[in-house]
Amino acid sequence: MKKGIRVLLMLLLALAVAVAAAGCGGQKPAGESKSGGNTAGGGQDQNQKMKVAFVYVGPVGDAGWSWAHDQGRKYLAEKLPWVEATYMENVPEGADAERVLTELAEQGNKIIFATSFGYMDYVINVAKKYPNVIFMHCSGYKTAENVGTYFGAMEEARYLSGMVAGKMTKKNVLGFVAAHPIPEVIRGINAFTLGARSVNPNVKVKVVWTNTWYDPAAEKQAALSLLDAGADIIAQHQDTPGPQQAAQERGAYGIGYDSDMSQFAPNATLTSPVWNWGPYYVKTVEAVKNGTWKPEQYYGTMKDGIVDLAPFNKMVPQDVRDLVEKKKQEIIDGKFFVFQGPIKDQSGKIRVQEGQKMSQEDILGFNWFVEGVEGEIPK
Amino acid sequence: MPATAAPQNTSRSSGPGSGPVLTWEKRLEPSRLMAVVVPVISVILALAVGAIFLSATGFQPLKVYQSMLNGAVGSKYGISETIVKAIPLMLAGLGVSVAFRMLLWNIGAEGQFYMGAFGASWVALTFPHLPAYIMLPAMFLAGGLMGALWGLLPALPRAKWGVNEVITTLMLNYVAILWVDYLVYGPWKDPRGFNFPLTAPFSDAASLPTIAGTRVHVGLIFALVAAVLLAIILWRTRWGYEIRIIGESARAARYAGMNIERNIILVMLLSGALAGLAGMSEVAGITHRLQHGISPGYGYTAIIIAWLAKLHPATIILVSLLFGGLIVGGYSVQTSGVPAATVSMLQGAILFFVLGGEILTRYRLHFGRKEGK
Amino acid sequence: MAVPLVEMRGITKVFPGVVANEGVNLAVHAGEIHALLGENGAGKSTLMSVLTGLYRPDGGEIYLDGRRVNFRSPRDAIEAGIGMVHQHFRLVAPFTVTENVALGLKGGLKLNINRLAGEIAALSKEYGLQVDPQARIWQLSVGEQQRVEIIKLLYRKARVLILDEPTAVLTPQEARDLYRTLKRMAAQGCAVIFITHKLQEVMDAADTITILRGGRTVATVKKGDTSEKELARMMVGREIAWQEDKPVVKKGEKVLEIKDLKAFNDKGLLALRGINLEVFAGEILGIAGVAGNGQRELAEVIAGLRPCQGGTITVSGKKLGQCDPCRVIQAGVGYIPEDRLGTGLVPNLGAVDNLLLKEYRHPRWGRTLMSRKAARQWAGELVEHFKVKMAGLDAPVKMMSGGNLQRLLLAREISSRPRLLVAVYPARGLDVGATETVHRLLLEQRAAGTAILLISEDLEELFRLADRIAVMYEGQIMGLMATEKASVEELGLMMAGSKRMEVGA
Repeated sequence: MKKGIRVLLMLLLALAVAVAAAGCGGQKPAGESKSGGNTAGGGQDQNQKMKVAFVYVGPVGDAGWSWAHDQGRKYLAEKLPWVEATYMENVPEGADAERVLTELAEQGNKIIFATSFGYMDYVINVAKKYPNVIFMHCSGYKTAENVGTYFGAMEEARYLSGMVAGKMTKKNVLGFVAAHPIPEVIRGINAFTLGARSVNPNVKVKVVWTNTWYDPAAEKQAALSLLDAGADIIAQHQDTPGPQQAAQERGAYGIGYDSDMSQFAPNATLTSPVWNWGPYYVKTVEAVKNGTWKPEQYYGTMKDGIVDLAPFNKMVPQDVRDLVEKKKQEIIDGKFFVFQGPIKDQSGKIRVQEGQKMSQEDILGFNWFVEGVEGEIPK
Repeated sequence: MPATAAPQNTSRSSGPGSGPVLTWEKRLEPSRLMAVVVPVISVILALAVGAIFLSATGFQPLKVYQSMLNGAVGSKYGISETIVKAIPLMLAGLGVSVAFRMLLWNIGAEGQFYMGAFGASWVALTFPHLPAYIMLPAMFLAGGLMGALWGLLPALPRAKWGVNEVITTLMLNYVAILWVDYLVYGPWKDPRGFNFPLTAPFSDAASLPTIAGTRVHVGLIFALVAAVLLAIILWRTRWGYEIRIIGESARAARYAGMNIERNIILVMLLSGALAGLAGMSEVAGITHRLQHGISPGYGYTAIIIAWLAKLHPATIILVSLLFGGLIVGGYSVQTSGVPAATVSMLQGAILFFVLGGEILTRYRLHFGRKEGK
Repeated sequence: MAVPLVEMRGITKVFPGVVANEGVNLAVHAGEIHALLGENGAGKSTLMSVLTGLYRPDGGEIYLDGRRVNFRSPRDAIEAGIGMVHQHFRLVAPFTVTENVALGLKGGLKLNINRLAGEIAALSKEYGLQVDPQARIWQLSVGEQQRVEIIKLLYRKARVLILDEPTAVLTPQEARDLYRTLKRMAAQGCAVIFITHKLQEVMDAADTITILRGGRTVATVKKGDTSEKELARMMVGREIAWQEDKPVVKKGEKVLEIKDLKAFNDKGLLALRGINLEVFAGEILGIAGVAGNGQRELAEVIAGLRPCQGGTITVSGKKLGQCDPCRVIQAGVGYIPEDRLGTGLVPNLGAVDNLLLKEYRHPRWGRTLMSRKAARQWAGELVEHFKVKMAGLDAPVKMMSGGNLQRLLLAREISSRPRLLVAVYPARGLDVGATETVHRLLLEQRAAGTAILLISEDLEELFRLADRIAVMYEGQIMGLMATEKASVEELGLMMAGSKRMEVGA
């Protein structure tokens, strides 16, 4: 019996080696002709596509973060036919990430977009080994010769969604299902709260942490607990529509995130702050091709089109829509800045003086809540 | 298989008048040929079923399989990563196998893994300036000890009052995972980590040596040595003899005057220590810091591995490599455009058929007559 | 001669690798009690399974009243009037007798339970099968349960009754009652077939005997035309050297002394209610009794596997502690448990590991690492000396036959040269040849000066081996006598609890 298993494993390994060898044998000529074509033919071969890869932390079907990035990938492939854009989904932010990045570099990808914060150290490690590959890390802060970062001013869209919520709430209690206690999320909660209180100073925002990015059940549960605590509109920072679905079940409203989530909770979702990565991906890939790419920390705004607000649901009244549209135009025109003083923290102390704008550094490192937020940041 | 109450060899068990149409009959002795042929056929069947599914969803099965194999064993890098993935599986698999041999259902390797990682991280974070030759042995000891302690907790009530260890070990998994979460979200959080659930990186002295150019670390040696030691213990020592007898028949063991309670405790200590070492080698060899979700279920996969390997140490090493390959190859398949869910389905199909084939070598389906009502 | 009620002609049944029946003939007439005699594995059970429709024969024919029948299922056989009482009863414990009889009857819910109860009472009176139709099965003794099984068959108008080793669980009195019932059924025109390997039983109850050996019919004989010896020869295929007289062994010193021993059974009820016993070197003390009267508990307490609730056990002057099998082994107590495969032997391990079970602590195998080679060699010698037949030293012992298992177990227990040997039902389920071996080995031990406590249900065995016989009933010793002064009648009464004698040490 034991012998049997051993023999089986031997067979499997032998089979594996045989097929792998055959595979290598089959691929090598292709690879050689590829490099040969590059040196001999010179310039860009028509058939020669540039390989670009995307690494996602969740499944592309999450209707959230990874889905939004994948929309960007599809946009890229459509706009630039000479790009071959592949992806790897469900890649955990741990030991596996380093291998996946290495494999993608090994497979001849010229640009690799790593779309989760937790990939940061692994991106830096692998980038050192593959200096000819460009790595783009979303939401991180470490750069290198061949590593750039990119992100966007989601706070602008968050502020606008907060205005909608502030106008629509009846109980003056909003719920926020928060992901991990990192500056990105804190920033979003603060912008949402500021927006809500700009139209309704009595609003409170209750925060519950799930410490997850993608756990539909846990996130739905967190939303239900907020509804139990009196909230009548649920906003969120996860990659699933679970919180909106919870709101719909209870007859409350919700605000989506990442993508237009109205299809999952059509009777509840008022609007969603959304990412629109496609144009940026096109721009980046073109820059690499033209040799104009430089490592930078890109932070796109609503004006650049990287963040936006999804279309309003039918229950949002016209006056609210007008109000929000007007503010949106001010943001795009540069007339309004979200984190502009005076801003008080939870204790009522003024943290940003009247007329002052928060520095980009402070915004990226947000670690305190503004007045009106009920909840704590785990230290 | 150290059988639990093995189904009896009886095709007559059906009372008069109500015979089942299909019954399982235990084979007296699985034939040698079957033992080789069945697993091979199982894998082929799994691949065939997977191929049908892949074709139906618009992929070329052969290409997908080739890229899976290529990813796992097609290059030096692939092989090294397969080994990297297999190391924690080997150690945890060896750990649960000792307990299983005594019919102690230690489902807690996951928790023991986390506690081992915790112990090792505590050393690395508390004494960052230790030189490597002190740091690593200290982490080794701390990891093993914490794992052993986590094995001891359910062992004591089991030995004293017969408290079912399936429940206790399983529950302690959650305790261990939440404990590590508490640390990485709270007191041990890297102050420069932007609130992410990670500790600060360990000092270089706390890194296990690796084979040049790969991530294969000394944990591999731990696993191989552990397998050899385990084999020696089981078949060459009195303690191992007792473990085997107790596992096969507790009544016979009591009859022979063996102290079952003491063995429960000792075996759970060993089992936990091995899983703890898996955790230690993962933080010291791969992640170099403690973080949320450090194990993607190694402790549970280890249970499947131990069973597939029939609890045999050398076979556990091989089956772990097979699983490592399945996982690593699974990611590679994604680059051929196959979604992660399909990859999981493929891996599941292979496991399903191999396990199913396993059962067929031990039992045979008996087609009884249909009895008129 | 009339047409037989049941006739089986040339029955052949082949299982993968085994020919269980080969051209077996059996003819049973109405009004006859027919014994099917043979060793374990002779093909008796297979033949009866063919007759009751459980197996289909690979060859041969079955005739009922001279007409050929073809049973496709047990139900066909039952409808044709063939019924079987299995060794393990198929009764539903929480149901009443009436409900059990009703189970499986046609008519389902429309059944009139009260009328059925009346019919059962009438049947039980007619055949002398005393049983209360309202009693629940779990309240009944084993003998009564057997009667319920028989009533079930009678109610279904079975004309052919098959009983599989019916007396194995009965006291001599109960067995005698059973024989009487069987005779009455035969007188009513039924044919009764009972499977057995006990010669005594055959001589007591059967009219005609068919002997099977190795899957073939050896002969069919009338009881009047044969003798126990001849039957034994036909069954085994050779002469059996009966130990008619035990060699005289001088009674030695007192080895085992049990004083006022009390212990619970698994249900927490008092199973031993103050047992006093003494066994001397060179003596076999037999414990008679129907199973379930505390014999198992007694053996387990002595072996240290069951805590005692009072009293003392002393072996060679040393008191045994509470529930410490290790200490018992060191005190020189060998133990042949009732449950050979599971307690006495480990089914999935080979002979070497099994023989080591009590020897593995010995330093001769090496200080830290045990020498596999030395253990194998030692095991090989033991196996050879005790003539244990097996596929190999490492083949799982569960593959071995019952007789060889018992030899292996005895080999281990005897090789440790015990002062006291506790043997529980050592020959149960063994065929004549293996039984003979077990008996010979026990007598050899007695001659070597070992004190032996032999627990058995088989009076024949006790009379053959024991120097003194004690009878256990409901956790107490009902009487103790020298074998030569004992009578089956008297022992039977004590086993049934209806007689008690003062035990004068």
